[in-house]
Amino acid sequence: MSTPERDAGPQSATGGLSPEAAALVETYFTRVHGALLLAAAGECEDAVDDLRTHILEQLADTSGTPADVTRALADLGAPEALAAEYADASSDDEPSQRLSDVDTVPLHGRLLKVPFELRVPSSDRIAQRWWNPLDPRIFVPRVFGIGWDINFGAVAVKLHLVRPDDEDEPFASVPPRIISATMLFPVVLGIVFVGLVAATWAGLPAMLPAHWNVGGEADSFWARGWAIGFLAVMSLAPVAAAASTHLRRRAPLNRVAASAAATFLGTIAFSQLIQTLLYAGGTKTMVPTFVGIAAAFLVPFAMLVSLSRVGRAEEQRRDLEATSKKGSV
Amino acid sequence: MGTDTDSRLSQFRKGVVELAILALLHGGEAYGGEIVESLSSHPGLAISAGTVYPLLSRLKKAGLIDSVWRESPVGPPRKYYRLSEEGGAEFDVMARAWDGVTGAMDELLGKGNAR
Repeated sequence: MSTPERDAGPQSATGGLSPEAAALVETYFTRVHGALLLAAAGECEDAVDDLRTHILEQLADTSGTPADVTRALADLGAPEALAAEYADASSDDEPSQRLSDVDTVPLHGRLLKVPFELRVPSSDRIAQRWWNPLDPRIFVPRVFGIGWDINFGAVAVKLHLVRPDDEDEPFASVPPRIISATMLFPVVLGIVFVGLVAATWAGLPAMLPAHWNVGGEADSFWARGWAIGFLAVMSLAPVAAAASTHLRRRAPLNRVAASAAATFLGTIAFSQLIQTLLYAGGTKTMVPTFVGIAAAFLVPFAMLVSLSRVGRAEEQRRDLEATSKKGSV
Repeated sequence: MGTDTDSRLSQFRKGVVELAILALLHGGEAYGGEIVESLSSHPGLAISAGTVYPLLSRLKKAGLIDSVWRESPVGPPRKYYRLSEEGGAEFDVMARAWDGVTGAMDELLGKGNAR
Protein backbone atom coordinates (compact mmCIF):
# COMPACT_ATOMS: atom_id res chain seq x y z
CA MET A 1 0.00 0.00 0.00
CA SER A 2 1.91 3.06 -1.14
CA THR A 3 1.02 6.39 0.34
CA PRO A 4 0.82 8.50 -2.83
CA GLU A 5 -1.79 6.20 -4.30
CA ARG A 6 -3.79 6.30 -1.10
CA ASP A 7 -3.75 10.08 -1.03
CA ALA A 8 -4.66 10.41 -4.67
CA GLY A 9 -7.46 7.88 -4.49
CA PRO A 10 -10.10 9.71 -2.51
CA GLN A 11 -9.58 13.05 -4.18
CA SER A 12 -10.17 11.73 -7.67
CA ALA A 13 -13.09 9.63 -6.42
CA THR A 14 -14.96 12.33 -4.53
CA GLY A 15 -15.42 14.20 -7.78
CA GLY A 16 -17.61 11.39 -9.13
CA LEU A 17 -20.17 11.58 -6.31
CA SER A 18 -23.45 13.42 -6.58
CA PRO A 19 -23.97 15.97 -3.77
CA GLU A 20 -26.64 13.70 -2.34
CA ALA A 21 -24.28 10.70 -2.33
CA ALA A 22 -21.46 12.77 -0.84
CA ALA A 23 -23.82 13.89 1.93
CA LEU A 24 -24.63 10.25 2.71
CA VAL A 25 -20.94 9.48 3.05
CA GLU A 26 -20.44 12.52 5.29
CA THR A 27 -23.34 11.61 7.58
CA TYR A 28 -22.08 8.07 7.88
CA PHE A 29 -18.57 9.06 8.85
CA THR A 30 -19.78 11.68 11.31
CA ARG A 31 -21.65 8.86 13.04
CA VAL A 32 -18.60 6.58 12.88
CA HIS A 33 -16.44 9.31 14.39
CA GLY A 34 -18.95 9.88 17.18
CA ALA A 35 -19.26 6.17 17.89
CA LEU A 36 -15.47 5.80 17.98
CA LEU A 37 -15.14 8.65 20.45
CA LEU A 38 -17.80 7.09 22.65
CA ALA A 39 -16.13 3.70 22.54
CA ALA A 40 -12.77 5.36 23.24
CA ALA A 41 -11.32 3.29 20.46
CA GLY A 42 -8.11 5.27 20.30
CA GLU A 43 -6.93 6.61 16.97
CA CYS A 44 -10.34 7.90 15.83
CA GLU A 45 -9.09 10.23 13.11
CA ASP A 46 -6.84 7.63 11.53
CA ALA A 47 -9.57 5.02 11.57
CA VAL A 48 -12.09 7.35 9.95
CA ASP A 49 -9.53 8.38 7.30
CA ASP A 50 -8.75 4.77 6.46
CA LEU A 51 -12.39 3.80 6.21
CA ARG A 52 -13.28 6.84 4.15
CA THR A 53 -10.45 6.09 1.71
CA HIS A 54 -11.67 2.53 1.43
CA ILE A 55 -15.26 3.59 0.68
CA LEU A 56 -14.27 6.23 -1.85
CA GLU A 57 -12.05 3.73 -3.64
CA GLN A 58 -14.95 1.32 -3.78
CA LEU A 59 -17.21 4.03 -5.16
CA ALA A 60 -14.70 5.02 -7.80
CA ASP A 61 -15.69 1.96 -9.81
CA THR A 62 -19.42 2.79 -9.64
CA SER A 63 -21.44 5.70 -10.97
CA GLY A 64 -21.54 7.16 -7.46
CA THR A 65 -25.31 7.30 -6.98
CA PRO A 66 -26.85 7.38 -3.50
CA ALA A 67 -27.83 3.72 -4.02
CA ASP A 68 -24.18 2.81 -4.67
CA VAL A 69 -23.17 4.67 -1.55
CA THR A 70 -25.77 2.92 0.56
CA ARG A 71 -24.60 -0.44 -0.71
CA ALA A 72 -20.93 0.29 -0.06
CA LEU A 73 -21.66 1.61 3.44
CA ALA A 74 -23.85 -1.39 4.27
CA ASP A 75 -20.76 -3.49 3.57
CA LEU A 76 -18.94 -1.74 6.41
CA GLY A 77 -21.88 -2.17 8.76
CA ALA A 78 -23.46 0.04 11.42
CA PRO A 79 -21.16 2.77 12.82
CA GLU A 80 -21.67 1.48 16.37
CA ALA A 81 -20.65 -2.06 15.40
CA LEU A 82 -17.58 -0.73 13.62
CA ALA A 83 -16.61 1.33 16.63
CA ALA A 84 -17.01 -1.71 18.86
CA GLU A 85 -14.63 -3.65 16.61
CA TYR A 86 -12.04 -0.88 16.86
CA ALA A 87 -12.48 -0.65 20.62
CA ASP A 88 -12.03 -4.42 20.93
CA ALA A 89 -8.88 -4.28 18.88
CA SER A 90 -7.34 -1.45 20.88
CA SER A 91 -8.35 -2.41 24.41
CA ASP A 92 -6.31 -4.55 26.75
CA ASP A 93 -7.85 -7.37 28.76
CA GLU A 94 -9.16 -4.90 31.33
CA PRO A 95 -11.79 -2.70 29.70
CA SER A 96 -10.87 -0.08 32.27
CA GLN A 97 -11.05 3.22 30.49
CA ARG A 98 -13.89 3.08 28.04
CA LEU A 99 -17.08 5.04 27.59
CA SER A 100 -17.55 8.47 29.09
CA ASP A 101 -14.16 8.27 30.89
CA VAL A 102 -12.58 10.05 27.93
CA ASP A 103 -12.85 13.58 29.24
CA THR A 104 -12.91 12.96 32.98
CA VAL A 105 -10.21 11.84 35.37
CA PRO A 106 -10.45 8.04 35.43
CA LEU A 107 -11.80 6.66 38.70
CA HIS A 108 -10.18 3.31 38.19
CA GLY A 109 -7.28 1.87 36.25
CA ARG A 110 -3.58 1.44 36.79
CA LEU A 111 -0.92 3.86 37.93
CA LEU A 112 2.66 2.62 37.49
CA LYS A 113 1.25 -0.92 37.26
CA VAL A 114 -0.55 -0.59 40.61
CA PRO A 115 -4.35 -0.81 40.25
CA PHE A 116 -6.54 1.82 41.84
CA GLU A 117 -10.29 1.98 42.26
CA LEU A 118 -12.12 5.05 43.47
CA ARG A 119 -15.67 4.18 42.43
CA VAL A 120 -18.08 3.53 45.31
CA PRO A 121 -17.84 -0.18 46.21
CA SER A 122 -20.72 -2.27 44.91
CA SER A 123 -21.74 -5.76 45.98
CA ASP A 124 -21.13 -6.85 42.38
CA ARG A 125 -17.53 -5.73 42.46
CA ILE A 126 -16.88 -7.19 45.91
CA ALA A 127 -18.39 -10.48 44.75
CA GLN A 128 -16.34 -10.74 41.57
CA ARG A 129 -13.07 -9.86 43.28
CA TRP A 130 -13.39 -11.80 46.55
CA TRP A 131 -14.81 -15.10 45.33
CA ASN A 132 -13.87 -16.12 41.82
CA PRO A 133 -12.55 -19.70 41.90
CA LEU A 134 -12.38 -19.66 38.08
CA ASP A 135 -9.66 -17.03 38.18
CA PRO A 136 -6.31 -18.48 39.33
CA ARG A 137 -4.97 -15.05 40.30
CA ILE A 138 -4.83 -14.70 44.09
CA PHE A 139 -4.20 -10.96 44.08
CA VAL A 140 -6.85 -8.99 42.24
CA PRO A 141 -7.33 -5.22 41.89
CA ARG A 142 -8.72 -3.81 45.10
CA VAL A 143 -12.47 -3.28 45.51
CA PHE A 144 -11.78 0.22 46.82
CA GLY A 145 -8.50 2.06 47.19
CA ILE A 146 -5.03 1.38 45.86
CA GLY A 147 -3.43 -2.03 45.49
CA TRP A 148 -4.82 -5.54 45.60
CA ASP A 149 -7.41 -7.65 47.37
CA ILE A 150 -7.34 -11.38 47.88
CA ASN A 151 -9.41 -13.61 45.63
CA PHE A 152 -10.40 -16.12 48.32
CA GLY A 153 -11.73 -18.40 45.57
CA ALA A 154 -8.26 -18.78 44.05
CA VAL A 155 -6.77 -19.47 47.50
CA ALA A 156 -9.38 -22.17 48.15
CA VAL A 157 -8.58 -23.80 44.80
CA LYS A 158 -4.82 -23.66 45.52
CA LEU A 159 -5.40 -25.33 48.89
CA HIS A 160 -7.57 -27.99 47.21
CA LEU A 161 -10.54 -27.00 49.37
CA VAL A 162 -12.73 -26.53 46.30
CA ARG A 163 -12.37 -27.13 42.58
CA PRO A 164 -12.83 -24.22 40.18
CA ASP A 165 -15.99 -25.71 38.67
CA ASP A 166 -17.53 -27.14 41.84
CA GLU A 167 -20.45 -24.76 41.56
CA ASP A 168 -22.07 -23.72 38.29
CA GLU A 169 -22.93 -20.36 39.79
CA PRO A 170 -21.30 -19.49 43.13
CA PHE A 171 -23.66 -20.19 46.04
CA ALA A 172 -26.66 -20.46 43.71
CA SER A 173 -27.64 -23.89 45.07
CA VAL A 174 -27.10 -22.98 48.72
CA PRO A 175 -30.43 -22.94 50.64
CA PRO A 176 -31.62 -19.33 51.16
CA ARG A 177 -31.68 -19.61 54.96
CA ILE A 178 -27.96 -20.47 54.98
CA ILE A 179 -27.27 -17.50 52.72
CA SER A 180 -29.11 -15.27 55.19
CA ALA A 181 -27.28 -16.90 58.10
CA THR A 182 -23.98 -15.45 56.83
CA MET A 183 -25.17 -12.15 58.33
CA LEU A 184 -25.23 -13.70 61.79
CA PHE A 185 -21.51 -13.21 62.49
CA PRO A 186 -21.24 -9.54 61.44
CA VAL A 187 -24.54 -8.65 63.15
CA VAL A 188 -23.59 -10.32 66.44
CA LEU A 189 -20.15 -8.70 66.27
CA GLY A 190 -21.82 -5.32 65.73
CA ILE A 191 -24.11 -5.85 68.71
CA VAL A 192 -21.19 -6.85 70.95
CA PHE A 193 -19.32 -3.76 69.72
CA VAL A 194 -22.18 -1.46 70.70
CA GLY A 195 -22.66 -3.23 74.02
CA LEU A 196 -18.98 -2.96 74.86
CA VAL A 197 -18.90 0.75 74.06
CA ALA A 198 -22.04 1.36 76.12
CA ALA A 199 -20.57 -0.50 79.08
CA THR A 200 -17.18 1.25 79.05
CA TRP A 201 -17.98 4.72 77.72
CA ALA A 202 -18.33 6.48 81.10
CA GLY A 203 -14.92 5.33 82.28
CA LEU A 204 -12.99 6.23 79.12
CA PRO A 205 -10.44 9.07 79.13
CA ALA A 206 -11.19 12.16 77.03
CA MET A 207 -8.42 11.34 74.53
CA LEU A 208 -7.97 7.92 73.02
CA PRO A 209 -5.22 6.50 70.82
CA ALA A 210 -6.10 6.41 67.12
CA HIS A 211 -2.89 4.85 65.84
CA TRP A 212 -0.10 2.68 67.19
CA ASN A 213 3.44 2.06 66.03
CA VAL A 214 4.64 -1.51 65.61
CA GLY A 215 6.00 -1.56 69.16
CA GLY A 216 2.53 -0.99 70.57
CA GLU A 217 3.11 2.69 71.51
CA ALA A 218 0.24 4.99 70.65
CA ASP A 219 1.55 7.73 68.36
CA SER A 220 -1.61 9.66 67.64
CA PHE A 221 -4.60 10.59 69.83
CA TRP A 222 -8.17 11.63 69.05
CA ALA A 223 -11.03 12.86 71.23
CA ARG A 224 -12.85 9.73 72.41
CA GLY A 225 -16.02 10.63 70.50
CA TRP A 226 -14.08 10.67 67.23
CA ALA A 227 -11.92 7.66 68.02
CA ILE A 228 -14.86 5.43 68.99
CA GLY A 229 -17.15 7.01 66.38
CA PHE A 230 -14.68 6.17 63.62
CA LEU A 231 -14.56 2.52 64.71
CA ALA A 232 -18.33 2.41 65.08
CA VAL A 233 -18.82 3.59 61.50
CA MET A 234 -16.23 1.09 60.27
CA SER A 235 -18.03 -1.67 62.15
CA LEU A 236 -21.67 -0.82 61.56
CA ALA A 237 -21.85 0.87 58.13
CA PRO A 238 -20.75 -2.32 56.28
CA VAL A 239 -23.32 -4.32 58.27
CA ALA A 240 -26.03 -1.91 57.15
CA ALA A 241 -24.83 -2.06 53.53
CA ALA A 242 -24.71 -5.86 53.62
CA ALA A 243 -28.16 -6.04 55.21
CA SER A 244 -29.49 -3.91 52.37
CA THR A 245 -27.87 -6.27 49.82
CA HIS A 246 -29.67 -9.17 51.50
CA LEU A 247 -33.00 -7.37 51.79
CA ARG A 248 -32.91 -6.33 48.14
CA ARG A 249 -32.67 -10.05 47.27
CA ARG A 250 -29.52 -9.67 45.22
CA ALA A 251 -27.80 -12.73 43.70
CA PRO A 252 -26.54 -15.25 46.31
CA LEU A 253 -22.92 -14.46 45.43
CA ASN A 254 -23.48 -10.75 46.04
CA ARG A 255 -25.22 -11.42 49.35
CA VAL A 256 -22.52 -13.75 50.67
CA ALA A 257 -19.74 -11.42 49.50
CA ALA A 258 -21.44 -8.49 51.24
CA SER A 259 -21.61 -10.55 54.46
CA ALA A 260 -17.94 -11.46 54.05
CA ALA A 261 -16.96 -7.81 53.54
CA ALA A 262 -18.99 -6.75 56.61
CA THR A 263 -17.29 -9.53 58.56
CA PHE A 264 -13.85 -8.38 57.40
CA LEU A 265 -14.32 -4.72 58.34
CA GLY A 266 -16.31 -5.55 61.48
CA THR A 267 -13.52 -7.82 62.75
CA ILE A 268 -10.88 -5.16 62.13
CA ALA A 269 -12.98 -2.51 63.86
CA PHE A 270 -13.70 -4.82 66.79
CA SER A 271 -10.03 -5.66 67.29
CA GLN A 272 -9.19 -1.95 67.26
CA LEU A 273 -11.87 -1.30 69.86
CA ILE A 274 -10.40 -4.00 72.10
CA GLN A 275 -6.93 -2.57 71.56
CA THR A 276 -8.17 0.93 72.44
CA LEU A 277 -10.00 -0.24 75.57
CA LEU A 278 -6.97 -2.23 76.75
CA TYR A 279 -4.73 0.80 76.21
CA ALA A 280 -7.14 2.99 78.15
CA GLY A 281 -6.98 0.38 80.92
CA GLY A 282 -3.18 0.59 80.96
CA THR A 283 -2.26 -2.53 78.92
CA LYS A 284 0.17 -1.91 76.09
CA THR A 285 -0.11 -4.69 73.55
CA MET A 286 -0.49 -5.16 69.81
CA VAL A 287 -1.97 -8.63 70.18
CA PRO A 288 -5.58 -7.55 69.46
CA THR A 289 -4.46 -5.93 66.20
CA PHE A 290 -2.54 -8.98 65.00
CA VAL A 291 -5.27 -11.39 66.04
CA GLY A 292 -7.83 -9.06 64.44
CA ILE A 293 -6.02 -8.94 61.11
CA ALA A 294 -5.63 -12.72 61.02
CA ALA A 295 -9.29 -13.25 61.96
CA ALA A 296 -10.43 -10.63 59.45
CA PHE A 297 -9.03 -12.83 56.67
CA LEU A 298 -9.71 -16.26 58.14
CA VAL A 299 -13.35 -15.85 59.14
CA PRO A 300 -14.60 -14.60 55.72
CA PHE A 301 -12.43 -17.24 54.03
CA ALA A 302 -13.96 -19.99 56.17
CA MET A 303 -17.42 -18.56 55.47
CA LEU A 304 -16.92 -18.50 51.71
CA VAL A 305 -15.35 -21.96 51.53
CA SER A 306 -18.03 -23.61 53.69
CA LEU A 307 -20.81 -22.05 51.65
CA SER A 308 -19.22 -23.15 48.41
CA ARG A 309 -19.03 -26.67 49.78
CA VAL A 310 -22.67 -26.56 50.83
CA GLY A 311 -23.51 -25.43 47.28
CA ARG A 312 -21.47 -28.26 45.81
CA ALA A 313 -23.15 -30.81 48.09
CA GLU A 314 -26.58 -29.53 47.01
CA GLU A 315 -25.65 -29.80 43.33
CA GLN A 316 -24.35 -33.31 43.86
CA ARG A 317 -27.44 -34.38 45.78
CA ARG A 318 -29.65 -33.10 42.94
CA ASP A 319 -27.67 -34.84 40.19
CA LEU A 320 -26.77 -38.07 41.94
CA GLU A 321 -30.34 -38.63 43.15
CA ALA A 322 -31.60 -37.96 39.64
CA THR A 323 -29.21 -40.49 38.11
CA SER A 324 -29.98 -43.18 40.67
CA LYS A 325 -33.70 -42.74 39.91
CA LYS A 326 -33.12 -42.73 36.18
CA GLY A 327 -33.89 -46.42 35.78
CA SER A 328 -37.48 -45.97 36.94
CA VAL A 329 -38.21 -42.76 34.97
CA MET B 1 9.04 -12.37 23.29
CA GLY B 2 7.54 -8.99 24.16
CA THR B 3 4.35 -8.59 26.15
CA ASP B 4 2.64 -7.35 22.99
CA THR B 5 3.44 -10.61 21.26
CA ASP B 6 2.23 -12.54 24.29
CA SER B 7 -1.09 -10.76 24.43
CA ARG B 8 -1.56 -11.14 20.66
CA LEU B 9 -0.91 -14.87 20.91
CA SER B 10 -3.21 -15.30 23.88
CA GLN B 11 -5.89 -13.36 21.98
CA PHE B 12 -6.12 -15.79 19.14
CA ARG B 13 -5.58 -18.85 21.30
CA LYS B 14 -8.64 -17.94 23.37
CA GLY B 15 -10.91 -18.43 20.36
CA VAL B 16 -9.18 -21.64 19.37
CA VAL B 17 -9.40 -23.15 22.84
CA GLU B 18 -13.16 -22.75 22.83
CA LEU B 19 -13.33 -24.86 19.68
CA ALA B 20 -10.81 -27.29 21.18
CA ILE B 21 -13.09 -27.85 24.18
CA LEU B 22 -16.11 -28.41 21.94
CA ALA B 23 -14.08 -30.83 19.83
CA LEU B 24 -12.95 -32.75 22.88
CA LEU B 25 -16.50 -33.04 24.23
CA HIS B 26 -17.69 -34.00 20.76
CA GLY B 27 -15.74 -37.19 21.38
CA GLY B 28 -17.64 -37.89 24.60
CA GLU B 29 -18.20 -36.41 28.05
CA ALA B 30 -15.31 -35.51 30.32
CA TYR B 31 -14.73 -33.90 33.72
CA GLY B 32 -12.84 -30.66 34.33
CA GLY B 33 -9.49 -32.15 35.31
CA GLU B 34 -9.65 -34.54 32.38
CA ILE B 35 -10.32 -31.67 29.95
CA VAL B 36 -7.45 -29.62 31.35
CA GLU B 37 -5.13 -32.62 31.17
CA SER B 38 -5.92 -33.69 27.62
CA LEU B 39 -5.80 -30.13 26.27
CA SER B 40 -2.56 -29.31 28.07
CA SER B 41 -0.99 -32.34 26.43
CA HIS B 42 -0.98 -30.16 23.30
CA PRO B 43 1.74 -27.64 24.14
CA GLY B 44 0.89 -25.59 21.06
CA LEU B 45 -2.38 -24.54 22.65
CA ALA B 46 -0.62 -23.31 25.81
CA ILE B 47 -3.64 -24.16 27.94
CA SER B 48 -3.87 -24.14 31.72
CA ALA B 49 -6.64 -24.68 34.24
CA GLY B 50 -6.90 -20.92 34.39
CA THR B 51 -8.03 -20.78 30.77
CA VAL B 52 -10.17 -23.92 30.66
CA TYR B 53 -12.47 -23.36 33.64
CA PRO B 54 -13.61 -19.85 32.72
CA LEU B 55 -14.31 -21.11 29.19
CA LEU B 56 -16.29 -24.09 30.50
CA SER B 57 -18.35 -21.70 32.60
CA ARG B 58 -18.90 -19.41 29.60
CA LEU B 59 -19.86 -22.29 27.28
CA LYS B 60 -22.27 -23.60 29.88
CA LYS B 61 -23.91 -20.18 30.31
CA ALA B 62 -24.24 -20.00 26.52
CA GLY B 63 -26.06 -23.34 26.59
CA LEU B 64 -23.48 -25.09 24.41
CA ILE B 65 -22.49 -27.60 27.09
CA ASP B 66 -24.28 -29.24 30.04
CA SER B 67 -22.78 -30.53 33.24
CA VAL B 68 -23.81 -33.23 35.66
CA TRP B 69 -22.29 -34.70 38.82
CA ARG B 70 -21.48 -38.41 38.64
CA GLU B 71 -20.05 -40.84 41.15
CA SER B 72 -16.39 -41.52 40.52
CA PRO B 73 -14.93 -45.01 40.78
CA VAL B 74 -12.10 -43.43 42.79
CA GLY B 75 -12.60 -40.58 45.24
CA PRO B 76 -15.36 -37.98 45.42
CA PRO B 77 -18.00 -37.38 42.70
CA ARG B 78 -16.95 -35.48 39.59
CA LYS B 79 -18.69 -32.90 37.47
CA TYR B 80 -18.89 -34.15 33.89
CA TYR B 81 -19.38 -31.95 30.86
CA ARG B 82 -21.01 -32.89 27.57
CA LEU B 83 -22.16 -31.09 24.43
CA SER B 84 -25.76 -29.95 24.41
CA GLU B 85 -27.77 -30.32 21.23
CA GLU B 86 -27.10 -26.68 20.48
CA GLY B 87 -23.41 -27.20 21.23
CA GLY B 88 -23.25 -30.08 18.76
CA ALA B 89 -24.69 -27.87 16.02
CA GLU B 90 -22.33 -25.04 17.00
CA PHE B 91 -19.40 -27.43 16.86
CA ASP B 92 -20.30 -28.51 13.30
CA VAL B 93 -20.49 -24.89 12.17
CA MET B 94 -17.25 -23.92 13.91
CA ALA B 95 -15.36 -26.98 12.68
CA ARG B 96 -16.35 -26.17 9.12
CA ALA B 97 -15.36 -22.53 9.57
CA TRP B 98 -12.05 -23.73 11.02
CA ASP B 99 -11.32 -25.68 7.84
CA GLY B 100 -11.87 -22.48 5.89
CA VAL B 101 -9.59 -20.53 8.23
CA THR B 102 -6.75 -23.07 8.19
CA GLY B 103 -7.01 -23.44 4.41
CA ALA B 104 -6.74 -19.70 3.96
CA MET B 105 -3.97 -19.34 6.53
CA ASP B 106 -1.90 -22.16 5.07
CA GLU B 107 -2.09 -20.42 1.74
CA LEU B 108 -1.18 -17.03 3.20
CA LEU B 109 1.69 -18.47 5.23
CA GLY B 110 2.96 -20.24 2.14
CA LYS B 111 2.48 -23.74 3.52
CA GLY B 112 1.57 -26.72 1.37
CA ASN B 113 2.71 -24.60 -1.51
CA ALA B 114 5.76 -25.42 -3.65
CA ARG B 115 7.05 -21.85 -3.62
